[in-house]
Amino acid sequence: MSTETSTPRDEQKQERSAAAHNKVMLTRRQFLLYSGSTAVAASTISISLFPGSAQAAQARVVSYPRKFIARLSELKDNVPVDFNYPDELANSSAMIVKMGGVQAGGGIGPKRDVVAFNYICTHQGGPLQGSYVAEGPHRILGQCPLHLSTYDLRRHGIVVSGQAYESLPQVLLELDGDDIYAVGMMGLIFGRHKNLLES
Amino acid sequence: MTTEYYIPEDNAPLPPKNCDVLTTACDYCIVACAYKVYRWPVGTPSGGPKASENAFGIDFPSAALEDWVAPTQHNVVMHKGRPHNVVITPDKQTQYVNLHGDASIRGGCIAQKVYNPDKPTRDRLKHPMVRINGILQPVTWDFALDIAAEVGKHVIKKHGANAYSVKTFSYQFLENMYAITRFSFRDVNTAAWTWHDTPSKATSTPGYRDAGFDNFAPSYEDWGAADTLLISGTDPYETKTIIFTQWIKPAIERGMKVIFINPRETGGTTFAKKMGMGLHLDLYPGTDTPLLGAIARIIIENGWQDDDWIKNWVNNKWETDSGFGQGTRNTPWQWRTTWGKFQTGGFEGYKKWLLAQNEYQLENAARITGVDAAKIRQAAEWLAKPKADGTRVKASFGIEKGAYWSAGTPNTNAVASLATLCGAGGRPGQVVGRFGGHQRGGQNGGSYPRNKSPEKVPGRRRRPLDTDRWLKSGHTRLAHVIGTTWMQAMAGTVGLQQAFEQMVTNNPHQVRSHDKQEIIDTLKKRTDSGGMVVWDHDIYLRDPIGSRFADIVFPAATWGEEDFIRANGERRLRLYSKFYDAPGDAKPDWWIIAQMARRMGYDGYDWKSSSDVAEEMSRFSRKSRKAYHMIKVAAHREGTTLHEKLRSLGSDGIQGPTFYNYETGELHGTKRLHDTTLTKADMDKKWGTDGPQGANFHSKKYTHFNSQTGKVNLQKHPWSLISDYWYWLQPRDGELWHTNGRINEIWQSGFDDTERRAYIAQRWPADTQFMEIHPDDAAARGIESGDLVMMYNERVPTFKDTILGVYKNHLQFDTLMKEGHIELGKGAVTAVAIVTPAIKKGVLFTNFLNMWQPTNSLQGAVVDIITGNYNYKLGIAKVRKLGESKYKSTFNSLSFVPRNLSA
Repeated sequence: MSTETSTPRDEQKQERSAAAHNKVMLTRRQFLLYSGSTAVAASTISISLFPGSAQAAQARVVSYPRKFIARLSELKDNVPVDFNYPDELANSSAMIVKMGGVQAGGGIGPKRDVVAFNYICTHQGGPLQGSYVAEGPHRILGQCPLHLSTYDLRRHGIVVSGQAYESLPQVLLELDGDDIYAVGMMGLIFGRHKNLLES
Repeated sequence: MTTEYYIPEDNAPLPPKNCDVLTTACDYCIVACAYKVYRWPVGTPSGGPKASENAFGIDFPSAALEDWVAPTQHNVVMHKGRPHNVVITPDKQTQYVNLHGDASIRGGCIAQKVYNPDKPTRDRLKHPMVRINGILQPVTWDFALDIAAEVGKHVIKKHGANAYSVKTFSYQFLENMYAITRFSFRDVNTAAWTWHDTPSKATSTPGYRDAGFDNFAPSYEDWGAADTLLISGTDPYETKTIIFTQWIKPAIERGMKVIFINPRETGGTTFAKKMGMGLHLDLYPGTDTPLLGAIARIIIENGWQDDDWIKNWVNNKWETDSGFGQGTRNTPWQWRTTWGKFQTGGFEGYKKWLLAQNEYQLENAARITGVDAAKIRQAAEWLAKPKADGTRVKASFGIEKGAYWSAGTPNTNAVASLATLCGAGGRPGQVVGRFGGHQRGGQNGGSYPRNKSPEKVPGRRRRPLDTDRWLKSGHTRLAHVIGTTWMQAMAGTVGLQQAFEQMVTNNPHQVRSHDKQEIIDTLKKRTDSGGMVVWDHDIYLRDPIGSRFADIVFPAATWGEEDFIRANGERRLRLYSKFYDAPGDAKPDWWIIAQMARRMGYDGYDWKSSSDVAEEMSRFSRKSRKAYHMIKVAAHREGTTLHEKLRSLGSDGIQGPTFYNYETGELHGTKRLHDTTLTKADMDKKWGTDGPQGANFHSKKYTHFNSQTGKVNLQKHPWSLISDYWYWLQPRDGELWHTNGRINEIWQSGFDDTERRAYIAQRWPADTQFMEIHPDDAAARGIESGDLVMMYNERVPTFKDTILGVYKNHLQFDTLMKEGHIELGKGAVTAVAIVTPAIKKGVLFTNFLNMWQPTNSLQGAVVDIITGNYNYKLGIAKVRKLGESKYKSTFNSLSFVPRNLSA
């Protein structure tokens, strides 16, 4: 479901264009480089995915659109909400989920349990919609109906079992008050030769 | 090295329309999927997203199942001295194996295996090296080869050929294997020779061989053609991926039932169960024989056996004995029957024997195996209970290492006999085989000199020499190691490593000179003083064989760096194309061997290319399951070479054995061996009218079984062959069963992807062994996922002596123990715990070949009496928590999710 049209937003908080988004990257990079990961947790943004690699993570954010996805207060535990990112074109189908207090790499929110991923299996393009599983401390998507890959949503979408050649692309999130924005992407979406087709 | 801080790319280049396109097959697992290599010079434009702009001829973004380039499928290589882009993706046009261009995670990332100094493959071996003053130093080929040849000649002359021990991969391409075996057998003539995965030149599946089943008789399509498929000792989804996803999975969706025999549940089992088509018999390691015996017993008690098949295709008493006691007695089947342990005298004899064995009564088998009796009964029903309309269930049987490396002989005998009762073997939908491990690259260039082996088992024949025990006893003076770690791959790793240290590192004769002759003299002195010298061919420097022990290291050129031929698990032969320059001075193993052999004075070896080797070796393939000689015959009639003819067959290749019809000029392959449905007309079409014409070769196995009569030998499968060892091992005082095995992400690819592919290293950090443990066992020990644990075994048994077996039970474990031939040692490895219900309670599971924490050091070095191979999958360990690993509190790499978790 697309949230942008159904949610009237304050002028100041509307999605920014890629260019506008890039302008604020300097402060974000500094934040990434110098802030401890725990300090980030309940703060406004949290895109420090890999300790020691902030610069690389930052590179994945530049030029991506900043897009409003959902309100934190409206996410229900373990109920994925669908959206499209970084555009509305082929294979952009994605989901955001609040994983019931289970912390995850790249997670935002007070419990760092809110993550978002592309829905297309990176193995051969199978649809992962409807395959979210929450069991004990584990949170996965899969098995993919085509060749049965499963992905660990707590660990940046790494393949648990299966055939994918890369992790499920993770949508980088930013929390601004109660509003969650998609701001970038880690990994190439299946079927694309670059994530940003319009650039 | 690769770290777990891997940041995936978000773009990948598309190959341009006019790029070079070469065919190959994946280098890794037995399945050998078809791949294409797209190559174009760096600096020239990549392809565009429109169909008219790229080599795939499709529009991007592509749809599911269409071509796509993942960032891990692109690399940069040198081709003819200039940098080129390569994209290596599964062949979407292939008609066989990986239909629709399916790929596993291993093959899918194969572009990352090629040498690129900007990537983690930068430490490929590039120059020959000689250890001088303790340091491996680059030298010229001549310098290294002269030393190797001189010392080699000396060892053979002074200490005998058996002092020259060769430990080699068995699979890394036909041309190399031909050169290695020609050198080892025909010329050096050593009995101290074996493959990477056995201590002696052992047969892993004696039960199949003696029944008459070729391990690789079926085609992949056969695995999806049964009503019920029994899979033992593997989950083909994890290992043999594409056989599962392209052949077994669709069959399950159509209603094929699958019985999995395995202490562990993984993705394929999960899927089959989810579809209501799976039955998981979660046994304790090593107990297949009672399990299968119980199933056989239920079938016979209910009269569900295939009487017609047994009448027509199973040897009766006379046929079983035919040829026995007269004429050529020296066949494996015949000498084994002298024990009286396996021979049955046909179905009635088997039935009488089976019903007399207490361990095959359902309740006893359930107790030994730990499998619910109701599930064992259900398995028997799935396999053999007639359908409602009275017709037979079509059953097929496939096994892999969990079965034949946990109790080799009894387990393979039991599967063969159960399959035969069910009418399997030799008919579409009713086949018997192995799923397979590595690809099939064996090609004999000589005969193994069995009579030079000092080992003998009760009966008549000698058993191939156990190279581990031979070395530990101090008889090996030159260890020539080709593409294997040796120590970590063998059970009882620790003792072997200590022997290397003692004979190599601790020997006073160490090279301290720049002078070639002085180096030669020093190494000779080492061999004369009870020490050992080590030559090592490899693509990376391995620890400890290369980094600590090798006196000479030879850098090998491999996949993609030379044209090579190999076959897969359905005998499909392909040319693996060279598509880039080997790093540095690296040379293919056939070249290294040839250079050494010529210097040692052996004749021949004047090959200029791998094509020359192929031309010479093909005639020696004619009896083999992958007989490819007729491809050369066809090639020569068409004015080309074996390599070029095979290249023209592309990634589809052809299934051996091959035939050439001189009348029609057609080349024919073989879908399955032992195909009892083939008619004379079918064969006439292949090899010409009225029998094999010209160079075509006749073999019984095309239409019959590999036995003395062409019918199947129905064999006993005595539990007593292994039960003394099994009961001795049975966990006590806090021990648990420990078995190890393959994991999908690293399978037949560990030789270059464990540390060197960023994504794989993120999934499984290379220096981190893992240990799966059941939640109940974990709770009892206070262990949680992510904890660092110590696994240890305080009673690792090692069979230490080379003794002659004369009487019936001479080599039984109990006898060896009583007579003092078993030594108890200790083994220890650390690992990160993964608490998961996917492993049976009471059993631990680890990755079988993590070089840094080799869990074979926990497994007993006690060989199967018949095969001479270790039962690697059968072991015990204690485990305790050391502390927490960083993976417990970070999210970058590893995953603690059970492999069987699914929506």
